[in-house]
Order: sequence, then structure tokens, then C-alpha cells
Amino acid sequence: MHRTIVNVILLVGLFFGLIVLASGMSEWRLPDNQQGYAPQQPIAYSHRLHAGELGIDCQFCHTAAEHGRHAGIPSTDVCMKCHKYVTSSFDVLQQEIKLADEKKRKPETVISTELQALYDTLGLDDPKQPIPDDAKSIPWVRVHNLPDYVYFDHRAHVAAGVTCQKCHGPVESMERVRQFESLSMGWCVNCHREATEDGINGHAVKASTDCATCHY
Amino acid sequence: MRSKHRPTVRRATIERPLMNNESHNKYWKSLAERDGSRSDNGVNPQDGSPFAISRRRFLEAAGFTLSLATMQGCGRTPTETALPFVQQPEGVIPGRSQTYATTCAGCTAGCGLLVKVRDGRPLKMEGMPEHPLSHGGLCAIGQALPLGLYDSHRLQHPLKDGESAEWEGVDQLISQQLSDIESGGEAVRFVTSTVTSPTLQSSIDNFLERFTDARHITFDAVSSSAILDAHEQTHGSRVLPRYRLDAAQVIVSFGADFLGTWISPVEFTSAWRTRRVPTVEHPEMSYHVQLEGRLSLTGSNADRRLRLAPDEYGLVLSHLYAKLAQRAGESLDQDDLGTAPIADDELTALADRLWAARGESVVLCDSQDVAVQVLVNGINHRLENYGKTVDIERPSRQRQGNDGDVLELIDELNAGKVAALFVAGTDLTHNLPDRDGLAEAIGKVGLVVSFSERLDDVSSLAGFVCPDHHPLESWSDAEPVDGVIGLSQPLLAPLGDTRSVVESLARWSGNDDSAYDILRANWEQSIFPRLESEESSPFVRFWDQSLHDGYVEVAPTTEAVGEFQADAIKPIGDSPATDDCLSLYSKVGLTDSRHAHNPWLQELPDPVTKVTWDNYVCVSPAKASELGLSDGDVVRVESTGTDVGLELPVLIQPGQHDRVLAIALGYGVKGTDRFADVGPQWLEARPTVEPGQFVGKNAAGLIEPHEGTLHYSRGDVSITKTGRRHELASTQEHHSLEVPARVAPPGAEKRDVVQETSLTAFAEDPTSGTPEVHHFGDVQLWPEDHPKTGHAWGMSIDLNACTGCSACVIACQSENNVPVVGKDEVRRQREMHWIRLDRYYSGEGDDVDVSHQPMMCQHCDNAPCETVCPVLATVHSEEGLNEQAYNRCVGTRYCANNCPYKVRRFNWFEYPHGDELQNLALNPDVTVRSRGVMEKCSMCVQRIEEGKIEAGRLGEPLADGQVQTACQQSCPAQAIVFGDMNDPESAIAKALEGPRRYGVLEEFNFRPTVSYLRMVRNRDADESGDHHDHDAEGGDHV
Repeated sequence: MHRTIVNVILLVGLFFGLIVLASGMSEWRLPDNQQGYAPQQPIAYSHRLHAGELGIDCQFCHTAAEHGRHAGIPSTDVCMKCHKYVTSSFDVLQQEIKLADEKKRKPETVISTELQALYDTLGLDDPKQPIPDDAKSIPWVRVHNLPDYVYFDHRAHVAAGVTCQKCHGPVESMERVRQFESLSMGWCVNCHREATEDGINGHAVKASTDCATCHY
Repeated sequence: MRSKHRPTVRRATIERPLMNNESHNKYWKSLAERDGSRSDNGVNPQDGSPFAISRRRFLEAAGFTLSLATMQGCGRTPTETALPFVQQPEGVIPGRSQTYATTCAGCTAGCGLLVKVRDGRPLKMEGMPEHPLSHGGLCAIGQALPLGLYDSHRLQHPLKDGESAEWEGVDQLISQQLSDIESGGEAVRFVTSTVTSPTLQSSIDNFLERFTDARHITFDAVSSSAILDAHEQTHGSRVLPRYRLDAAQVIVSFGADFLGTWISPVEFTSAWRTRRVPTVEHPEMSYHVQLEGRLSLTGSNADRRLRLAPDEYGLVLSHLYAKLAQRAGESLDQDDLGTAPIADDELTALADRLWAARGESVVLCDSQDVAVQVLVNGINHRLENYGKTVDIERPSRQRQGNDGDVLELIDELNAGKVAALFVAGTDLTHNLPDRDGLAEAIGKVGLVVSFSERLDDVSSLAGFVCPDHHPLESWSDAEPVDGVIGLSQPLLAPLGDTRSVVESLARWSGNDDSAYDILRANWEQSIFPRLESEESSPFVRFWDQSLHDGYVEVAPTTEAVGEFQADAIKPIGDSPATDDCLSLYSKVGLTDSRHAHNPWLQELPDPVTKVTWDNYVCVSPAKASELGLSDGDVVRVESTGTDVGLELPVLIQPGQHDRVLAIALGYGVKGTDRFADVGPQWLEARPTVEPGQFVGKNAAGLIEPHEGTLHYSRGDVSITKTGRRHELASTQEHHSLEVPARVAPPGAEKRDVVQETSLTAFAEDPTSGTPEVHHFGDVQLWPEDHPKTGHAWGMSIDLNACTGCSACVIACQSENNVPVVGKDEVRRQREMHWIRLDRYYSGEGDDVDVSHQPMMCQHCDNAPCETVCPVLATVHSEEGLNEQAYNRCVGTRYCANNCPYKVRRFNWFEYPHGDELQNLALNPDVTVRSRGVMEKCSMCVQRIEEGKIEAGRLGEPLADGQVQTACQQSCPAQAIVFGDMNDPESAIAKALEGPRRYGVLEEFNFRPTVSYLRMVRNRDADESGDHHDHDAEGGDHV
């Protein structure tokens, strides 16, 4: 009798233990595999809205992709090109105009929480100009992060005609950016082999698979 | 292979208890300890070793550790943030470097500098190819500037009485004291090292103007005062000529180490090189004779080297002068002269050579004896060299030290006549003899202000230390040669609360201008009017262009020099008969005490002695055997006249004059005890610097003030053995290509690693000097794997141009994040330099020939390292590079063992990168290697990749010369050529076609991609023949 109870308790414990373990395991990856990583960002910037709905070109903000090793995170003044004037979503602004019309008053500036966070980093008040000296950089969390011994150069890939989505996935549909591909070496090398064999968009390319292409 | 049968025996004994364990697990469990007590797993626990562990335990522990490590790796990597600019500056692209033109301030030579700045950090110093003096070269000191910049020991604030203070308070106190001095009419003395900056000079002049008794004194730690004094006597003007070695067919140097440390080594190397490379069409070279006591870098490159003690220069020069006078038809009485220490026919031949090359020859001398320098001037005048190879119309300003003024200052200080002493750019007390007396005298001065960047010796005596910016942080200029003015611009905002000297002086004169304003105003006033231009353009354009170029050429300022005064020349009839002659010299790559805080330079092996991290007494082999000395024996060198002594280890230097003892200056610098724990700290680590000691010892106490100059050689010295020993960290025999005799197979041949020929032999047969060796076939190991259809990178190194100056070593260290390992690790042959300068002696007896050979990974097509790597961490690329993938390497070190050139370096430790400020000097384009991996020269593959990618982006083919390796870029002698061998028009393809090309050990069919161009000495074939048999010194058993 006692033994049965002990066995039942052990079995139940094992069951829960496995559940806990399994749920914990789902977070585990092979070392350095960050596929699916989608950290919370300090400002909930939506690529779906900007790149998807509004159709802004990737390189409008990530200008360095064409010129440098890093695509670069746009400086805050790039955001301010538009958001000096656009302070909230179109719908909210429309609503405010409608409401102001009804109440026969001038429409007030409506600032969304996310844009308020942007303005706060810059320490901006109402006229939003000029950007004060004590402006702080936004601490974006890096999503795509290769090990230190890997040297990936955006320039080479943009020049060869590789689309951004080839490595970054459908960013234009992502509310919050996540790492779409594994970015493992095998994945890189496969693409290099295929590109050398088949070309990119009909252009012949030579994507080397020498170690020192990426490791030095 | 030695104990071939032993492992099998061991395995048998191991297997038995294991089987027992498995079959009788329960019972044997306790007895396993007994089994363990038997020596069946090679370890006997009873031997008292604390590390005794059974095989089973070891595997358990290893398995557990491994799984733990794996589990840890399964988590997410730590969160990293990326901080973008708020407002991106125009033209800045994160991760891309930009190049700025400026002027090197490592010494007073004023070479042109191109600084690679990335993300706001100056990272890599490169030579400026367009510069009229340095022609793209840069020495080791220039290369090492970033480490001086990112130095956490630099002063961050002004100091008042040794305590941190605010500028405002300091300025107020100094201004107050100055106005008291001004009204009291007391003496103000401003000591600087040579000031080449016209702006700083005018700032000092303006500052001193208001005082009735004020003087600016120029003190050089290593001075050439006698040359200037001699010109005052012979030409009526205190100038230092600019020596034009590019116009000299015969160069005779008495002790002047012009390729290593003397006045402007990069300028001289680049000029010297122009006449040192014979071609098949023009088999001609300049003829370089060096007469010297110690074996200097310059002497090691001379065609003819004669051993002559420094105190004999005067006598030999007098003989030479008399012989030249004879040839000019004058009869000069030679009978008064004592017997020359050099054979008469040797001197006659030298005089003939010089006379034949009148106007195309030059005689140089580093003596600090004015009478000797007057003789040198007389000879250069007689040889019609003035205006041709010796330019005093556009003189050099690189050494303006006036020792007479300095000695006068010391007297004034001792007499307590000085009220205010300002010291800038030099460590006055460290570099002068009688340090303690001088310190006491300085203590009597009411106001002592030092502008030193760090707390050096004189700063510790100063009431106020007003730290200057690092040269890379400040606006400045430099006029190293009259009419050539370099501009320096700041490359980052000052890291500390420092202030440039110009600005400090302005503040104390009641002027609030910034250094930039002062500089620009001075350029508009004084330099712009000197522009020799047809069309008139506004100053703004001139300024912008100068800033862009980094230098400008304008009209010289010097007034006409006087007629030559022949009566100044007085022959020196005799040399003092002393037993020993001390010669104080500067070490290549360290020169004076200014760069002693730079670990790259401290760990740079001396090009000749190959010793790091120390100074020592060089003695000749004969002297050593006379005194019973061996390398590392500590001796006491004492000046009998003054009782100043110094205890240093001995180094036996072949080729040194038997009477000469040579000690390097610039060591024993205050604060260098910081290097005690540089390098890895482990169980058996010994400190680089013993507690309470500095790196090396300061030999400045032995400088002799004599007849108005500071003499770096003196006769009244004695040397005694102390009986103690100090192990020097010399890389001399490290990474030798030679198989040690005890393991060499019987009948092993010596291989001609260094090949040389003579000029006459070369003129007859350009391929002369090729040894007759048996070639071991020419099979390609992997022809289909190495098609090299695209680029095929290759390199050639011209041994005739290479001087061994070692600038490439530091260039490589800076570019490739090569760690500093410290003295103890160097002793263990674990230095990490990817490129080393192999220095071979040849010849028998006391006169030796020297060959320098840069040696780095040869990127063999049939690479022996690649075949033995069990994990394919080192493989060949399609472009002919031998690649090392650090992330794949497991550290078996098989590759290093199998490398015939011994160029692979193993990371025995996680080398310290603890100093966060110093880490800013790391190149982000190159991986910082971790413990347990092998590394070696990559041929700067990061630069190749960058070049290819950038060319691809622009849609253009990669042009020849667009990719330069770090060693190649800065080589002052342009000895290294790198490029694509598949491009028939490339410089490398042309260099490889020449008859002098050979590959080191290529007879073994390693197919090295690095080629060498055979050395040619300007000698007759038979003269060289004497030495040819001994070339094998440079060749090895293989």
C-alpha cells in the first residue's frame, strides 16, 4: 500500500518534472543557434508597419548596408525626418481631427506612447527642434549577432544582389524583429555554394567558400 | 617514436582492472582503490602526487564537465545592445575606417602619417607615400603610437604638488607667480626637446617676451649638438645639415646609426635605399662604409665595416683629411699624426673612393666632439659635398639641442639663479648625468612646471604638472626640414582633462585662444606668405589643402650661410690611450626614454642583439673571454673619474670593437615597474620587472659633459664581474630554421636560407650566388584543389633593401592584435610576433657580416602544416593563402612542429586584455585569439577581403597596389612587394621575374609563395669570396 502511494507520488513528480524540463528545453538551442530570437526592444518599433504597410525601403534607414560592413541601425535623426511631424498613427490623428471638428476646437497634438519614448530619449519638448546636446542613444537589443570570429560584410552581399529577406526573412511582416534563419556556418556555406552554381538573379557570382572569406 | 613499445604495455595493464570492474562491479568497488594503488594507470597515488586520479574518475569528471559546458552553451547568448548615433556625422559610416593625414610626433623626424580612424578611434598608423621626407615609410615608434595614446597611466588631470587639481586653480597660481617673477626681473628658463613646430616656437617666444631674463633652452636626450657647433665654426651658422643620401654614391659613416636611430632614420633609409638595388641593366650600387665601435643596425648593412672605437674617430678623420688634401694637390704634413688604428692601404682606398665621388659622397659622424665634427665638415667641404649631399641651404631642424646652453643651465640651477623652470617634451633629470644633484638644484627653483604626459622623473620634482595632449589628440605642426611643414590634426577628443602646451602658454599670457586658433593664426601670418605660388589664392584654400595633404612645401627661411672657414680645422694628432671606451647608444625602436611605457616597443627585439625588455653591456667576444664573461653575467661598469657606476648583464656581441663597451640609453624609466605583471600570470610565471626595479637601468649617469657638449662615449671606465647573473630575454636562437646538431641526421646539409653575392659577380652573372642544391622534384600535392584561377597572392622581400629596422614587426603587431607576452614568456620562446627579423652572422674572426631576413608564414603551396592538421583548421585558399581558422583549431600544435620555417605561434594563455583603455588599440577587423589556438601571418587577409569587397561594390577590378599588407605599407626601405601574381602587369609579377629571386628551402618543393631577392654586397667577387664559405652560418641543417 505504502509502496503504491510512494510510486504514485514519484510518478506524479516525474510527470511534472518532465513538463517543467520540456518547457525549459524549448528555450534551449544548440550552442550559438539563436534562430527565433526576438527580444523586447526599448521602443516597440514595428517593421511590419514601416517596411510592410508603408513600404519604406530597407536601405532608406539602413543606409550603410551598401557602403559598410554593418547595415547599421539608423541614427535617431533618421527617425526624426518623419516623426518630427508624424506623432501618432494615422487613425488616431484622424480621430482627433474629427473630434476637434465636432467640438469646434483646434486639433491637439496626439503623441503615441512609442513615439513619446522616442522623444524622451532625445529630451525633446514641443517644437521638437533642434535636437538637444543631452540626447541619448536608444539602446536597441541586437537580434542578429554573429560570433566575434565571423566577419560578415553587408556590402558584398548587397553588391551581389542578395535580397535582405534572404538572410533576415520577411522582416516586413514582423511586428517585432526576430532572427529568421539559423545564421549557422552550414547555412552560410550552402548559400555560397548554390550562389556560385546558380548565380543570383541570373548574374554569375563567385561566392568563395574559403575559410578566410569569413574567418580572420 | 622513442619509446615505441611502451604504450602497448601500458594499455594491457590498464585493460585488466577495467574488465574486472565491469564483471564484478559490486565487489570490486572498494578494491578499486587498491587497484588504483597499483601503478596500472601510469600514476601511483602513493607517490604523493596530489593530482593522482584513476582513469575511471578522470573520465567521469571529464564527461560531467563536458556536459555542463555543453548545457551552458545551450542557453541564449548574453543580450547585447547596439547604440546608434543620435545624429550621424556626415561621411561617417559605422564600421568603416577613414584615413586622415597628419604628422608623426614619435620623434622629431616629422614623418608623414596616415592614420586609420574607425568609429572615432585612431587604430593604425601608416606611412604617407607622398611625403617628401619619409616617402611612405614609418618606423616602429610611429607604428606604436596608438598604444601610447590608449595608456591608462597617462595623466588625466593637472597636478599641483603631486595632487590632482583643476586647471582654473593651477592657471591662477602659475599666473600669479609669473607676474611676481616678471616684476622682480628674475630668471625664467624654458627647457624643451627640439622644437620643430613653428607654432610652438612662436608661442614660447611670445610667452618669454615679457620677462627680462628669459631663455629657451633646447635639450635633446640624444643630442647632435657638436654637429651644429661645428657648423658655427666652419660656416658661421649653427645649423644641422640635411644629408641627402639619395644623392650619395659613397657613404662613409663614423658611428652614425642613420638607418636605425640617428636624426631621421626613416628619411635616411628611404633615401639610402634608392641607390642600393642593382638591376640587370644597371648593376650599380652606392658604396657604404661604416666605421664604428659597436655593431649598429647601420653597420650591419654596410658594404665594408671597420671596427673603430669612438675615441679614435678624430685620428682616422685627420688621416683621411690629409689624404684628401694630398689628392687636392695640397701638401699637408701627416707626420704629426699618430699611427692610424686602421691599415693605411684601407684608408688610402677609402680616400680614393671618396675623391673619385666628389660631390656624390658624404661623410657622417655621430661624435659629440666638436673638433671631430669640424674635421668632418672639412672633409665634406673638400669633397665638394656641400650643396649636393650635405644641404645647409635647406637645413634639417630635427636636432637643435644645444648642450652648451644645457650645461650653463645646470650651473645656473646649482647657483640657485633660476626663479621659474618650464620643462616640455623631455625628461630633463632622467636624461642628464648627476641626477640627484640636478634634482636637488631643481628643488631650489620657486616655480617648476612640467608639461609631461605622465609622471616622469622631472614631473615628480615639479610643483605643477600641466599634462600635454597626446600628439594624436592635438593640433600642431612640424617643420623637420626647412621649407617642409607638416600639419597635425587631432584624431579624437582628448581622453583626459589635458591641454596642449600652446594653449597653456596662451592662458598664462592672458589669452583664451584654443590651440586650433593659435595654429591657424600662425599659419596665416607666418607660413602662408612663404608659399611659392604663381597664382594668388585665399588663405582658406591653402589651409584646407594643407590640412588635407598633411604637409606643405614652402620657401625656406634660413639666412645665407657664411663662407667655409678652413682655419677652423685642426687635425687631431692622437687618440687617448685608454683600455676601455664606453659607448652609449640608442636602441632601435626606443631611442630615448619617451616611449619606455610602450610594451610593444619594449618587447621588440633589438635588430642586432635580439634582446627584449632590457638594456645590457655589449662586449666583444675577445673582451668576454679575457674577463671570463658569458651572456647574462652581471658586471659593474664604472666611470673611474666620477665614481658613477651601473650594474648590468653582459651580452657578447660579435663584430664589436674589443675596447668598446656599449650600453643603451633610454632605460630605467620611472614608472616602468608597471610592467611587472605584463603577460600571462601562471604558476611558474616570473615577473618582467623585479619588485622595485624598472625595465633596464638608466645609463644617463655615464654621459660625460665635456667642452660644452654631452659626450656619449668616454674613456675612463672600468668593468668588473660581480658574480651575479641575470637572464636576458633574447630571441636570438628562437624559431631557428636549423635542426639542432644533436638531432640532425648524419650528413645533414647546410641550407642556404640567406643567399648573397657581390656586385662584381652580379654584374657578370645576375644569377650568381645561386647555390647548387638538389631539388626534390616539383610535384604539386593538390593541383586540382589549388587552381588559383582568380587572384594568386604573392610577396617578395628584397634582402638588399631590407635593413632589419623592424618597423614591420610593430606594424604587424598593431594590425593583427598580436599580444605582448612579457619577458618571462620571451625567455620560454613564446613571443607571438607573426613576422620576425632573422639576423644571421657570417664570416670568421672578429669582423662579421650580417644579413637580415624578415621571416613570416611563407604560404607554401605544398604546405607541410596543412597535411598534419587533424581538424583541417589550416587549409589552403583558392587564392594561394595558407589560412588558419581559429575557431576550428584545437591546438594540437602539429602544424607548428611540421612548419619548416617555424613561423607559427601558439596561444599558450589567454593573453591579458584586461586594460580596457588599451583594448581600444585592438583592430576590430581581426579576431582576438583565445587560449589554445595556433596563429600566424595571414598576409593581412582582412585587408585582402576588404579590398575585394570594396572593388566589388564599386564594380571595378581590384587594382594592383590597392591591397597592401601592414608590413609592406610602412617599410621605410620599400623592401616588401605584395600583390596578385596572376596579373602580369603587377609589381609582384615583375619583382619575381628578376634574377635575384629565390625561395627559402624551395628545394624541398614546399612551393613558398613568399620569395626573397638575393642580397648583393658592393664588393669585388674575391673579397666576397672570403665570406662565401661562411654563408652557411645563415644556412641550416635540414
